[in-house]
Amino acid sequence: MSPPVYDWDAGEYLTSEEERMIDELEAMLRPPVLPMAPYPPKAVLLASGETMVVRPASVDEVDTMLEVIQPLSWLQRDFYDIVAARLFAELLGWKTHRVRNEYCLVGVIDGVLAGIVNGRLWDEKHGVSYHTLTLKRGLRVGSHLFASKMEHHIEYLGQDEVWIVAESPIGHRRWMIEYPLDKKFEVQHELGGAPSYVLTRDTYFKAKSRLVTGTRPVPPELLAGSYPLRKPDLKVMLTQIEHTLEARL
Amino acid sequence: MRDVAIVGVGSTQFGRAQWSLLKMMCEASHDAIVDAGIGEKKIDAVYVANMGGSRNNRMAGLSSALVDRMNLYPHTVSETIENGPASGASAIKHGMHSVASGHCDLVLVCGGERMQEVNNFEATEFVSYLSHRYAEYVYGVTLPSLAGMFTRLYMERYGLEPRHLAMVAIKNHENGAKNRKAHLRIPVTMEGILTGPDALNNNPWIAEPLRFFDCCPVSDGASAVLLAPAEMAKQFAKTPVLIAGMGQATDSQAVQDRPDPTELTAVRMAAERAFAMAKLAPKDIHVAELHDAFTILEIAESEECGFFKKGEGHKALERGETKIGGKLPINPSGGLKARGHPVGNTGVSQVVELALQLRGEAGDYQVPNQPKHGFAVNFGGFGNNVVATVLKRGV
Amino acid sequence: MARTVEAAKCANCGKLSYPRHYYCPACHGTKFEPVPIEGEGRLITWTRVYALPLDYAVRYTTLGIVELDMGVRATGQLDIAEPKTGQRVRARVGTVREINGKDVAGLIFGAV
Repeated sequence: MSPPVYDWDAGEYLTSEEERMIDELEAMLRPPVLPMAPYPPKAVLLASGETMVVRPASVDEVDTMLEVIQPLSWLQRDFYDIVAARLFAELLGWKTHRVRNEYCLVGVIDGVLAGIVNGRLWDEKHGVSYHTLTLKRGLRVGSHLFASKMEHHIEYLGQDEVWIVAESPIGHRRWMIEYPLDKKFEVQHELGGAPSYVLTRDTYFKAKSRLVTGTRPVPPELLAGSYPLRKPDLKVMLTQIEHTLEARL
Repeated sequence: MRDVAIVGVGSTQFGRAQWSLLKMMCEASHDAIVDAGIGEKKIDAVYVANMGGSRNNRMAGLSSALVDRMNLYPHTVSETIENGPASGASAIKHGMHSVASGHCDLVLVCGGERMQEVNNFEATEFVSYLSHRYAEYVYGVTLPSLAGMFTRLYMERYGLEPRHLAMVAIKNHENGAKNRKAHLRIPVTMEGILTGPDALNNNPWIAEPLRFFDCCPVSDGASAVLLAPAEMAKQFAKTPVLIAGMGQATDSQAVQDRPDPTELTAVRMAAERAFAMAKLAPKDIHVAELHDAFTILEIAESEECGFFKKGEGHKALERGETKIGGKLPINPSGGLKARGHPVGNTGVSQVVELALQLRGEAGDYQVPNQPKHGFAVNFGGFGNNVVATVLKRGV
Repeated sequence: MARTVEAAKCANCGKLSYPRHYYCPACHGTKFEPVPIEGEGRLITWTRVYALPLDYAVRYTTLGIVELDMGVRATGQLDIAEPKTGQRVRARVGTVREINGKDVAGLIFGAV
């Protein structure tokens, strides 16, 4: 077999030597990987009567999600800007293998992306919760997705603790006060802001019946309908984020 | 005493205001003035309805600020009327008195509230100032907690069930979805908020037995009405709407002080007085806007005002009588639940909505069969200061 | 900080009022004596409040209105996990809220 020829006009072909070097470099730049059990999808019946499918996102869906998230990084309302900016970076890091053991769950209503949550494993027993971004407000999508995230850490990833911070007072009220979460201020959360609160297995199971709902398995047509991920209309999304009530709680 | 008519109405979008409190009120006032088409006539007085301006928006002398912003000085006089959540109807009452007495001809009544300048904790705190300082407030009593205790008694005494409360929310959300200016325009379903597997999560407790969808949102918004003597009203383009009657009554501030805490005495008396002045009866009313800050209040008020017997309001709701196509549509605009509750403004927006209904201009949520008589209840505090209004089409 | 919560007993006709008004509701008198609110009563209605104002870091508080045997009604916090309307309760005074860093005393009702 003759070695591939480097053709300046046609584009980039790498010699096998260069390929091997880049692979080694990449391997160095990539983090080590822990095995992660998948999250079994569930269906949540929302107040409006619509059903939201909560399922894991895959790395190929990141580009679609980034297109939806990016405009929100300019929305100075309810901390959408910082959550969107950070989530953008985290998902991009997930796609390019520059963040360890990250996962991402999405909420999909009628095939359209309605919310995103993500986090990662610090180690086998400890998890770090990253972000919760709601694209369709007024239906507690964020609340359901955050609970799904905690369900994933504790029940499917088999962890003992999840470290959590909130950027927004809404998040603080929903998580720190409602679960309630314990303080674990000795742990600096890697988002670099306030010190961490923690959800333990114990607290999770006590709060579970109250806060974690949804039905499994998802009917096959419903689940199939959540692929491929469709982007919400930008203008409609921005308008309802700005105008809809965020819960008084 | 002259008869007083509404000759112009205006309202901003309710929800999260893009504008400052003052600008919202100017927009609503301008809309009302344009709606009336007053030409060269001068506005003699402005009554502003607002509850939180001095605390939440750091504005004192709000009515004077409005007069300034709208270049109405030096001729136009003004006052700000504060009566808790009943500020709106109280301001209309004072406007009406000014015109009826002959002191003023054209009077603008403008309500406005911008709650989002403070966060939600502050907003709840601020509204809890309506409760009795040492008998209620120090215990963390909030209006939802008073409504929760009231609802529990109602359920035990009259057999009201959680699904009845949910029905009010569903009906009002359905109506709000048709109202372009409403705050909440997402219809909700019984499965989604009460009976489905995820209902408790979608619709969590606020003050048992009241849940999230039983309580109105915290909204920003402004509305305005232009009042004129009935004689002058004939010169204006639109069908005038007569303020046929207004009534007001008070009750104890602390709910425990009331001999029967399920009785909303002030609502009953205010309604009786309003009907007496209008020389009409509850059966004459074709459309009503009742103060449903909590879904239970729509039911309780519909009984106290005389539309249904005490304890039967929820049965009428079940029969569909209070829907837009029913015998007595209540809150066709979505009510406080879906249209929104900019606290000081609500009384004015209720009258605006009724005027639109009586004129036939309500669009998608128009009550059929050309309603002639409308009725509103504006409920201050937890029923300790209530204003009722009866409106009639034509002068 | 007062450690009792007081009803007002009219010096003229003896009627108890709580909260205190300027005039006695029965005889229009203006002189009152303080009478501590204590003893047992019947729970008229109650609620668990989840949407709380400033200064609260708990998930919910339980509040109720009680008809006391001594002849007044009072609103207070309930120190009862599963309240039932009509149950007998006993009043005591304790810290019910923190306002601007200061503890505020008020009525707390426990099961009998």
